[in-house]
Parts: sequence; structure tokens; C-alpha cells
Amino acid sequence: MNNQNKFSRRQFLQVTGVGVGGICLLANCGNSISIWRFFSNTEAKLMDAIADQIIPPDDWPGGSESGVTNFIDKQLVGPYVRFQQDYRKGLLAIHDSCNDIYNKQFEELDWNEQTAFLEKMEAGKMHGNIWSNGFDKTFFSLCRDHAMQAYYGSSRHGGNRNNKSYQMLELDYPLIIGQNRYKS
Amino acid sequence: MNKKTLLHKSLLVLSVIILFFLIGFGSFYSYWNSAPASKTCASCHEIENSVNILAQSTHRTLTCKECHGTALSNGLHSLNEKSMMVFNHAKNENTEDIRLNEPQMLEVMNNCTRCHKIEQSKWLSGGHSAKYKDIFLNEKHNKTEQLNFDCLRCHGMFADVDIDELVEPLDIKGPWKFKDSAVANNPTIPCLACHQIHNEGSPYKSPEYSNPQDIFYKRKHSVSNVSYYNRHDKTKIMAENLPTLKLWENERQVKVSDDILMRNCIQCHAPNGKHQAGTSDDRTPRGVHEGLSCMACHDVHSNDARQSCIKCHPAISHCKLDVKTMNTSFADPKSPNNIHWVACTNCHKDAKTLKK
Ligand code: HEC
Ligand code: HEC
Ligand code: HEC
Ligand code: HEC
Ligand code: HEC
Ligand code: HEC
Ligand code: HEC
Ligand code: HEC
Repeated sequence: MNNQNKFSRRQFLQVTGVGVGGICLLANCGNSISIWRFFSNTEAKLMDAIADQIIPPDDWPGGSESGVTNFIDKQLVGPYVRFQQDYRKGLLAIHDSCNDIYNKQFEELDWNEQTAFLEKMEAGKMHGNIWSNGFDKTFFSLCRDHAMQAYYGSSRHGGNRNNKSYQMLELDYPLIIGQNRYKS
Repeated sequence: MNKKTLLHKSLLVLSVIILFFLIGFGSFYSYWNSAPASKTCASCHEIENSVNILAQSTHRTLTCKECHGTALSNGLHSLNEKSMMVFNHAKNENTEDIRLNEPQMLEVMNNCTRCHKIEQSKWLSGGHSAKYKDIFLNEKHNKTEQLNFDCLRCHGMFADVDIDELVEPLDIKGPWKFKDSAVANNPTIPCLACHQIHNEGSPYKSPEYSNPQDIFYKRKHSVSNVSYYNRHDKTKIMAENLPTLKLWENERQVKVSDDILMRNCIQCHAPNGKHQAGTSDDRTPRGVHEGLSCMACHDVHSNDARQSCIKCHPAISHCKLDVKTMNTSFADPKSPNNIHWVACTNCHKDAKTLKK
């Protein structure tokens, strides 16, 4: 306990850092900052719509409600940094293609149009430069894989909100198991 | 310039810097403590989430300080932590899963009990206020079951260290002692093992008598924020999202109450992995009380059950017994009259002749 109260030089510098850091945070932060870590607010909305297409809501929560977007967003600034550019490019591509074909945002399409659009991606039949080299296929499977990881993984990683998928599978989480009690 | 004036000058410069810093930081600090949370605490986006959720909680009218203390009253640790956040932030490292450490948790708990004295006194009188020394230095227990990391799942769940850093030696011979004796009197099941504060809820208010929808039987029940702290994930799980116990008495499935709050209790008062009734610390009612929730008899904080019998007895009874004075030999799980699973057949050998 005691040594915690000593103010070392290093801590002094760190504290100064907070003061200065804090002030610049206060001065600036207000303007239109995304509530997400990597995604912009628009990207996140689009991602929600895709997540619901991949895991549609029924009696149990769908992809967006279970936090797929939050999972991907969180992983993109962590273990999945390497996919940052894929998401930036892929979401933009979907946005642009929808604009070209329907003159609408993906989220504004009706359910079946959305499905059809993603099926086309999955089949690798998208047109346009931005989709070249099979990017349509790879981006779709990236989203699908990550959505599954989010939905069925540990909620610690940002998805599977309230452990709903475990309840759906009738898995006890946390496991109910007593102490050993002298081998009883 | 000779050495002396150089020293002189730099000392002067240094003190000016320090003065500047003190003024700057001082005013910044007092602003920080008095300004609304949305302008200060929330300006770190790591904390923004906590602020937003608190604004929808039962305790929405309180300031952060009323529970967390100020950075300074919390000791350097906390300031240090906040500064690390700024640094890690700059380095683009993930800092969002910040959690209170055990001393911070205990400080917060001290603040809860300022307002919730009654719950605190009841908790103190019950089994859940057992201290570290009661649980980890218990000779009988330690001689039969070797201390291991899993003990901390149900008691000492907020410990910042693992069991090998907590107690030595890790064998069944002893004598055992804490590596840091300061922990001896820490509570093993503090309030925050069962309560989640940054969570949706609404402050209590009196009904709107002019609005027929607000008459008591039509009012929406406010959800209580009972949760279970899962050490493994360092997260709290709301009771409604915890699993209900499925329990077997040999082949027969025992009827278990669907009371949401009971899901919290059975995380710790749990049967063995096969979920056989009566194994390990299972106390799920069977026999005459099968299907009742723990809360039907036990007060949530004092754990007292003796006061409860009168809620149902002698009104509900075949036997006209004064159950309040009868010996239910609860403490011995093998007792035929154990209150948790006493059955008609324990007292009436020829149960078939009884008309129910
Ligand atoms: C009524 C008491 C209370 C108030 C008021 C309160 N907190 Fe908390 N805070 C807690 C408790 C208890 C925890 C432990 C987690 C929990 O139970 O939600 C906590 C945890 C936290 C955490 C760690 C992250 C986490 O969720 O575990 C942060 C950050 C935090 N609080 C910030 C704040 C800020 C900022 C405010 C003011 C807007 C605030 N708190 C107001 C009681 C409170
Ligand atoms: C400044 C006083 C104050 C402090 C500090 C405080 N509370 Fe409360 N708490 C209240 C009041 C008042 C209510 C009743 C709700 C209302 O009308 O605001 C309440 C309600 C509650 C409830 C019941 C409602 C619900 O949301 O489930 C719980 C549980 C609770 N508090 C736990 C805690 C814990 C745990 C802490 C410490 C982290 C704490 N309180 C700190 C004043 C306080
Ligand atoms: C699954 C949760 C769980 C785990 C894991 C667990 N305990 Fe307990 N412990 C309990 C419960 C519940 C009680 C209260 C039992 C009762 O009174 O019926 C208890 C009671 C105790 C007591 C009080 C005296 C007694 O024997 O009843 C001690 C001491 C104790 N535990 C130590 C330990 C140690 C040491 C470990 C690790 C080897 C451990 N516990 C692991 C849940 C647990
Ligand atoms: C073993 C779990 C557990 C522990 C530990 C615990 N509580 Fe509770 N608490 C509960 C349960 C269960 C309820 C009942 C909630 C309900 O009825 O909806 C409750 C209810 C409350 C309420 C609301 C009471 C009311 O009348 O609405 C407050 C306030 C409270 N607890 C404060 C505390 C404080 C303060 C501590 C620590 C001194 C504490 N609790 C420790 C489980 C616990
Ligand atoms: C985090 C684990 C945990 C949870 C959750 C928990 N308990 Fe306990 N409980 C314990 C332990 C450990 C003890 C024994 C402490 C000791 O004997 O030192 C205990 C003791 C008790 C006792 C005996 C008290 C006494 O004075 O001997 C009762 C009754 C009890 N618990 C009921 C409940 C009920 C009801 C709930 C749900 C509201 C609950 N417990 C939730 C761990 C837990
Ligand atoms: C029909 C009422 C009733 C119900 C329901 C009930 N208990 Fe009890 N329990 C008692 C009584 C009576 C005692 C003795 C306590 C006393 O004398 O204060 C007791 C004692 C205990 C004890 C301490 C002594 C022992 O047996 O080891 C624990 C732990 C306990 N109960 C846990 C639970 C849990 C957990 C539940 C729910 C799964 C539960 N009880 C449901 C009435 C009940
Ligand atoms: C929530 C209601 C409830 C509470 C509280 C309760 N009981 Fe019971 N009890 C029952 C029911 C229901 C029966 C079964 C009656 C039947 O099936 O004929 C029963 C039966 C019994 C019986 C069997 C003999 C008889 O009279 O039928 C005993 C003994 C008993 N209870 C003891 C206790 C004791 C001791 C307490 C207090 C610690 C207690 N009970 C608290 C509901 C309750
Ligand atoms: C703890 C012991 C105990 C338990 C458990 C118990 N009883 Fe009894 N019961 C008695 C006693 C003692 C009498 C009184 C006998 C007498 O006065 O002759 C009695 C009397 C009765 C009577 C009246 C019999 C008669 O001849 O007048 C009936 C019916 C009865 N019990 C049914 C039940 C049923 C049904 C259950 C289970 C729900 C039950 N009992 C559980 C102890 C118990």
C-alpha cells in the first residue's frame, strides 16, 4: 500500500501528461465524433444491416442486436487491424454499388433486395472496378465469418450480447458447477 | 556562464515551470471535479459508455464522485491509471475494457453503504460478509481441499492476483498465510458481486394517481439490477441472462423455481457437474418445498430464513405442526429433516395412506 503513495518522477510526468492531455481533450472533443472505434457512424449503420441479413432476427436476436458490428469494430482496432482496409473499401463499395443500381442506400432497400444484393456478392457477380479480383466474394465471406464469430463467441469480445446464442443452444453460461466439496 | 549561475538559472526556470504547472493543473483539476460528467469523464471515450449507461440507471441523479470519489481521494493509483489511458490512447492500444481494481471496488462499496446502511447491516450479519481470512485460512477446508484458482470464482472474485500470489503454501499441510497480510479483512462477497450499477433502471417515484395506467397493479415493475460477477470474463451478467438450474434426483428431474433472482444464488450454491441433487453445495428445495425459490425463505442480505415460515405456515399444512419451533436440522445435509429436502415420507413412513 505504502509504496503506492510515493510520487515518483515517472508518475509525475504521467500526471502532467493527463493534465495536458485532458485539456486538449476538453478543448476539442465535441464535434461529430463517431461513437465507434474504427467505423464511421454511416459505416456502422450499413454493417448493422448486413449483419441482420447474415443472421436474421427471429425468436432470437439477429446479427445487429447481438452486437456483430460492435464485435467487428472492436476487433478492427485490436487483433484484426489487418482487415481495416478491407472493411473501409468493402463498405464503400457496397454503398457505391447500391447508389449506382438502386439510387438508394443499402439500408433503405427492402429485405429481399438486400438479400439479392448480398447473394450476388457471395457468387462473385458484382460489377465495377472496385470489386475486381474477386473482392466481392472475399469481402462477403469476411463479413460472414466475422458475424459468426461475433454471434457465437464470448461476449467479452464485443458480440453475443447477453450471451443470447448460448441460451439459444441451451448451453449454461457460466457453467453451473459446485466446488469439489471433498469429492462428493 | 559559470557553473553556479547555470545552476541558478535552471532552478529558476524549473520553479517557474512547476508554478505554472500547479496553477494550470489546479484549476483544471477543480474544473474536472465540478463540471458535469458529460464534459469531463466522458471526454475520454473509454469512459463515455459508463457515463451514458449511468444516465439511464437508478442512480442517474448522482455524480461520479459520490461513488468513485475523486481521482485524488482514490489515491495515486487512479490518476496513474487515467494517465496510462491517455498514453495508451496515443499509442492506439485498446484501453476500453477498463475495470475497477479491488481497492477501487472496495472504495466504491464504502460509498454504497453510506446510503444503504440497512442492507449493509444485514449483509454483515449473514454469511456473505465472510472475510478473506475466514475463507482462505480455514484449516479444515485447506487440509481436505487444496487451494486452487477456482476458489476465487465464488469468493474473492475481485482479487487482482491469482491464488498463488494470494496465499502460501499451496499444499494441504499448511500453515497457511497471506503473502500480503493487508487483504485478510477484505470481504469475499462484496455488494458488487451481486449488483450492477452502470445499468438501466429507473429511480423510484410515486404513482401518477390521475393516470389510471399508473395505478399500482398496472405499473411496470422496475427491473432490479441483480447480476453475477463472472471472474473469468471480468464482466457482470444480469440475473435474467443467467441459466436456470436443471437438476436431477437420480433419473427424476427436480422442479426448480423459475425465479430470476435464484439464478444468482445457484451460481455459487451449486451441485456437481452432473447436476445431481444434494451434491456439493446444492441446497435446491426438494420434498415438501420443491419448486420454491431460495428467496421464499431467505432474506437476500442477512440470509435469515427463520422469519419466513410464518408466511406460509400454519396456513398451508397437513400436519398442524408449529414449524417455527421444529428441528429441521438444516446444518446436516444428511439429516432426514433437512429443511431443504424434507419430504412427507421422512415423517410418515406409510406415505401412501396419506390423503393429500
Ligand atoms: C451509484 C454509484 C456509482 C456512480 C454514481 C457512478 N459509478 Fe461508475 N461504477 C460503479 C460501480 C459499482 C462500478 C463497477 C461496475 C458496475 O457495477 O457497473 C463502476 C464502474 C465504473 C467504470 C469501470 C467500467 C465498468 O463498467 O466496470 C467506469 C469507467 C466508471 N464506473 C465511470 C463512472 C463515471 C464516469 C461516472 C459518472 C458519470 C460513474 N462511474 C458514476 C458505481 C458508480
Ligand atoms: C447518494 C446515495 C446513494 C449511493 C452512494 C448509492 N445509492 Fe443505491 N440507491 C440510492 C437511492 C436513493 C435508491 C432508490 C432509487 C431512487 O429512487 O433513486 C437506490 C437504489 C438502489 C438499488 C435498488 C434499485 C436497483 O437499481 O436495483 C440498489 C440495488 C442499489 N441502490 C445499490 C447500490 C450500490 C451497490 C451502490 C454502490 C455502488 C449504491 N447503491 C450507491 C442511493 C444511493
Ligand atoms: C462454486 C462456488 C465455490 C467454489 C469454486 C468454492 N467455494 Fe467455498 N463455498 C461456496 C459456498 C456456496 C459455500 C457455503 C456452503 C454452505 O454453507 O452450504 C462455501 C463455503 C466455504 C467455506 C466456509 C466453511 C465451509 O466449509 O462451509 C470455506 C472456508 C470455503 N468455502 C473455502 C473454499 C476454498 C478454499 C475453495 C477452493 C478450494 C472454495 N471454497 C471453492 C462456494 C464455492
Ligand atoms: C449474494 C448477492 C447479494 C449481495 C452480496 C448483496 N446483495 Fe443487495 N440484493 C440482492 C438481491 C437478490 C436483491 C433483491 C432484488 C429484488 O428483490 O429485486 C438485493 C436488493 C438490494 C437493494 C434494493 C433493496 C430494495 O428494497 O429495493 C439494495 C439497496 C441492495 N441490495 C444493496 C446492497 C448492498 C449495499 C450490498 C452490500 C453491503 C448488497 N446489496 C449485497 C443480492 C445481493
Ligand atoms: C458469489 C457466490 C455466492 C452467491 C452469488 C450467493 N452465495 Fe450464499 N454463500 C456463499 C458462500 C461462500 C457462503 C458461506 C460463507 C461462509 O460460511 O463463510 C454463503 C452462505 C449462504 C448462506 C448461509 C448463511 C449463514 O449465515 O450461514 C445462505 C442462507 C445463503 N448463502 C443463501 C444465498 C442466497 C439466497 C443467494 C442468492 C440471493 C446466495 N446465497 C448467493 C456464496 C454465494
Ligand atoms: C423452505 C424454506 C427454505 C428455502 C426455500 C431455502 N432455504 Fe436455505 N435454509 C432454510 C432454513 C430454515 C435454514 C436454517 C437457517 C437458520 O436457522 O437461520 C437454511 C439454511 C441454509 C444454508 C446454511 C446452512 C446449510 O444448510 O448449509 C444455506 C447455505 C442455504 N440455506 C442456502 C439456500 C439456497 C441456496 C436456497 C435456494 C436454492 C435455499 N437455501 C432455499 C430454509 C430454506
Ligand atoms: C413460500 C411458502 C413456504 C414457506 C416460506 C415455508 N414453507 Fe414449509 N411448506 C410449504 C408448502 C407448500 C408445504 C407443503 C404442504 C403440502 O404439500 O401439504 C410445506 C410443508 C412443510 C412441512 C411439512 C409438514 C407440513 O406441515 O405440511 C414442514 C415441516 C415445513 N413446511 C417447514 C417449514 C419451515 C420450518 C419453514 C420456515 C423456515 C417453512 N416451512 C417455510 C410452504 C412454505
Ligand atoms: C417433519 C415431519 C413431517 C413432515 C415432513 C410431514 N408431516 Fe404430516 N404430520 C407430522 C406429524 C408429527 C403429524 C401429527 C401426527 C399426529 O398428531 O398424530 C402429521 C400429521 C399429518 C396428517 C394428519 C394425519 C392424521 O392422521 O390426522 C396428514 C394428512 C399429514 N401429516 C400429511 C402430510 C403430508 C401430505 C406431508 C408432505 C407434504 C407431510 N404430512 C409431511 C409430521 C410430518
